[in-house]
Formats: sequence, structure tokens, C-alpha cells
Amino acid sequence: MSLGGGSAGGTEAALDLYGRPSLSRRVGSLLGWGACLLAVCLIGAPLVWVIYGVVARAAPHWHWSVITETTSSTGGGGLANEIVGTLLLMAGVIVVAGTIGILSGVYLAEYAKGHVGSLLRAGSEVLAGIPSIVLGYVGYIALVIGLRWQFSLAAALIALSLLTVPYIAKSTEAALRQVPTAYREGADALGMSELLTLRRITLKTALPGVTTGLLVAIAISLGETAPLLYTAGFTDNMPSLSLTHSPVGYLTYAVWTFYNQPSTSFQNLSYDAALILVVLVFVLIVASRLIVALTQKHTEKN
Amino acid sequence: MTSIPMPASAGSKTARADMPLIVEAAPRSVSVQAKDLALGFGSATILSDLNLDVRKGEITALIGPTGSGKTTFLRSLNRMNDKVAKHWHQGDVLLEGASIYAPGVQLMALRRRVGMVFQRPNPFPMSIAGNILAGVKAHRIASKDHYRDIVEARLREVGLWDAVSNRLNSSPFSLSGGQQQLLCLARALAIGPEVLLLDEPTSSLDPVTTENIEAMVRTLVPALTIVIVTHNLGQARRISDRTVFFYQGKMVESGETSQVFEDPKEPETARYVTGRMG
Repeated sequence: MSLGGGSAGGTEAALDLYGRPSLSRRVGSLLGWGACLLAVCLIGAPLVWVIYGVVARAAPHWHWSVITETTSSTGGGGLANEIVGTLLLMAGVIVVAGTIGILSGVYLAEYAKGHVGSLLRAGSEVLAGIPSIVLGYVGYIALVIGLRWQFSLAAALIALSLLTVPYIAKSTEAALRQVPTAYREGADALGMSELLTLRRITLKTALPGVTTGLLVAIAISLGETAPLLYTAGFTDNMPSLSLTHSPVGYLTYAVWTFYNQPSTSFQNLSYDAALILVVLVFVLIVASRLIVALTQKHTEKN
Repeated sequence: MTSIPMPASAGSKTARADMPLIVEAAPRSVSVQAKDLALGFGSATILSDLNLDVRKGEITALIGPTGSGKTTFLRSLNRMNDKVAKHWHQGDVLLEGASIYAPGVQLMALRRRVGMVFQRPNPFPMSIAGNILAGVKAHRIASKDHYRDIVEARLREVGLWDAVSNRLNSSPFSLSGGQQQLLCLARALAIGPEVLLLDEPTSSLDPVTTENIEAMVRTLVPALTIVIVTHNLGQARRISDRTVFFYQGKMVESGETSQVFEDPKEPETARYVTGRMG
């Protein structure tokens, strides 16, 4: 026990399979667990607080008419136009940014080698780093004013897509890179075409990662306000289906603006909008997990 | 290379048993031929001066120490090296007399004729039936109505049918390693290749499974031409008709398996097959 002094004592305690670990180890272990617990609380508490705050303020005055009626400028009404507007923007981002982002990710992972690849990746990172309001302003100058589209769905979609494409591309690329080489070699050896390999094997394997990227993109398109202020404008009316010359209402605008209106009905709508946003995000997460679970029945992990 | 009189009925499975009885002048034809092949990656030369005839309907074993170039050679027969960075080659590989490296050769078509099974089982992340059908669908070999029959026939061929017939839609990763490898073999056979390349197909499997796979592979000749890379000298001896010994990127010796093992002509071959060099 006394051979090597203090440090030998520590080693001996660590090697003892049956006795209690030394005091310093138990204290260290407790501290570690404490730190982990604290971290969980730091993440969990705000989440619970936000959800409680939104639900507690929205629930008491909740009417289902909030979903069915459009906003009335004189106060009251519902959020139907904002909900439809937000869903339209979301669907548009899935189609536009989803397509471009996933294809870019495929290109970056499978074909972009050397200088071209690193240039594109750097460009994508710069794009991801630009503040959203700047992209909104660029959209305003270039599309709303420059192309005379006015506040419109198309301008909003392009601004949101510019914002979200880098996320989708990056997560798609990362997910594709993690697909085992053995899958690709097996497909090559069978004489499968590149497109078929991509469709049936690699993209399918990478789907959880691709979905994560899409989810982030959708969450951004649901939650962004700044770029939309410049591009979507706002209206109390249901969004028309025309791409240009027609402003679009959306939920985050209601959250942000209605809260400052000197009318209880508008303030209530603001909480309702927040609640609907939270529910939408929740539904999206569940849906994406379901899709992933359904398509990953045959993976190696199962 | 001197030719030995062989029966012309190379397509039939009974040919082997008849062999000593029938004497014909026609030489057994060559399936794959390497001509002055040299290849490497970047500044490294992996193989050089390689001339080899792989005979049709036989099993040819490629043996040699690690790093001798046998796997690289095997992968050059279906151009799997093409994708490796800085790959280069000189000379040529002929399949039934036609260059597989000629401009205009479609890799998809080549690999339909030259199948491959890898060292580690690599089933695709799709159902067991889906794995068998992956190549069938890719090459549009059969219509949908025949899929079930194809799956059953191919699984029976490799002796996997009884084990998986009630879970064709399950994940292949629920199978044992040996079963996964048999599935990969069935997947490769499903597109009807002429030549099958086996890259140490049993090196990650236990002895009993290895024996099953060896017995299964034996049933594939002479309908198919098989080239197998193996580190297992016993395996080369048990299943191959001819053996090729690679050493340091060169083909040192090739001949009938019994001759290479019992009466090697080159000193390196002798040292390797007797276990004095690993």
C-alpha cells in the first residue's frame, strides 16, 4: 500500500474490483453526474417554460374560430390567412430549397472534388453565415423593387430558400459521406447505374441526415420573420395563389406585431399564433421521425 | 501455355465427371485474359508484366502474401479499380477476346457479365428479397411477375431458401455473417454473370460456413468461370482447378492446383505453399 506513496494508493483503489471506490472518485463521479443533470436542466427548463408560457396564455381564450377565420383589421377574427400563408411558405421551401439543397448535397458528396468542391463548400458556408435580414433586404431590392414583383410569395420563397439551402446541402453531404463504401462497391459490382445506386441505396441510407437538414430548413421557414418583412409583406386576406404582386400573411408576423397592438383581441391572437407555431414544429418533428423509422426498416443498426 | 485436351461440353454440370473418359483435341477456351497488364495508383506500381489466361468453366485461385497484388488484379477484371484515385493501367484485359478497357465499354454491361462477391458480406439496406432483385431490376432482366420465382430459385441455388423463406421481407442484417455472404452470392448470381470474382469470400466466416460456401461454389462450375482470391491455402487446394501465385506485384507461377502445391516450379512458390513465407 505504501510502496509508491499517494499515487500508488490511487492506482490500487482503481484496481480493486470489490471494495468501494476511493472518496475522491466518488466525489468526482457525483460532480460529473451533477454537471450532466445541470446541463439537462439548462436545456429542458427553457423548453418547458416556453411551452408552458405559450399554452397558458393561449389556452384560456382559445376558440377554434382562430383557425377558420381570417384576421379582421378592426380587431378579432382568426389566423386562417396567416396559417395558410405559413404552410404555403413551408411547402414552397420544401419544394424549392429541398430540391436545390439535396441536389447540391449530392453533388458536393459524390462529384465535387478538389478546388471546385472546396470553393463550393466555402461559398455555401458564407451563404449560411449571412444574417437573414440581409438576405431579406437583398430580396427586397432585387425582387420586390428590382423586378417589380412587389411583396409576394415568390420573393419570400426565394429569400427563405437562399437562407435554408446551405443547411440542407450540408446535412445531405454529411449524411451521404457516411454511407458505407461497401454499399457503393456492391452496387458498382452489380452494374447498377449511378442514379439507381443513389436512389435505391445511398440516398435511402442517408435519409435520416437528409431529413434532419430539411427539418432545420422547415423550422427556419416557420420561424423566420426578418427576411419575410421585406419580401412577403403582410395582408389580412387569404394568400392568393399568384406568385407575384400579392402579399402573404404569416404566423411570425402575427406573433411579433399583434402583441404590440392596443387591443386584447390582437394580443390574444399573438399568443394563439405562437401556440400554433409550436404545435406545427412538434408535428413536423414527429412526422419526420415516422418517415425515417418507416424507411429504415432494413438498416444495419436494426 | 500448353493446352490440355478438355471436353467440349463445358456448359453441362456433368462435364467434370466425364472428363477422363472423353478425349478431344479442342483446347478448353479462355474466358478472361490479361495481356502485359501493369497497373498502379499515382506513382505506385501495384502489378506489372502480368500475362494470364483464366480458363472457362474452371475455378482459378489467386494466392500470395498480403500486398502481392492479387486483389488489385481481381478488381481489374471488372474495372473496380477505375474509381480509385489516380488509378492507371497499361496492357489489356480481354473478356472472350474483347478488351474490357476499350473506349466505349459500358461498365454496367461489363459488370453484368463479370460479377463480384466481396471479402465482407455487404448486403444492401433493403429486404432480403430486395437484395436478390437489386441487380435484376437494375438490368431489367425480368418482369415483375417473375420476381418471386427468381428470389426463390436464387436462394435455393445458394442453399439459403429454407432459412429465409418465411422472412423474405426482413432486414438482411438479421442474418448471420455466413448467410449474409450467401445472400451476396445469390445477388451476384441473379444477374446471370459468365465470370464470378470472389475476393476472399470466406475470410470473415467460421470454418463450417466456409465449407458450405466452398461446396456451393464448386457447384457453379463449369457453368461459370470463377476467380477466387484467398489467403486460405487449404481453400485454394480444395476448390480450385488452377492456382496462380502472386508475389510482389508479379505473377510468379500458374498451373494446375495439384502441380502448384505439390511440385512448384519456382522457389518463392515453394516457400509460400509450404508455409515458410507468409
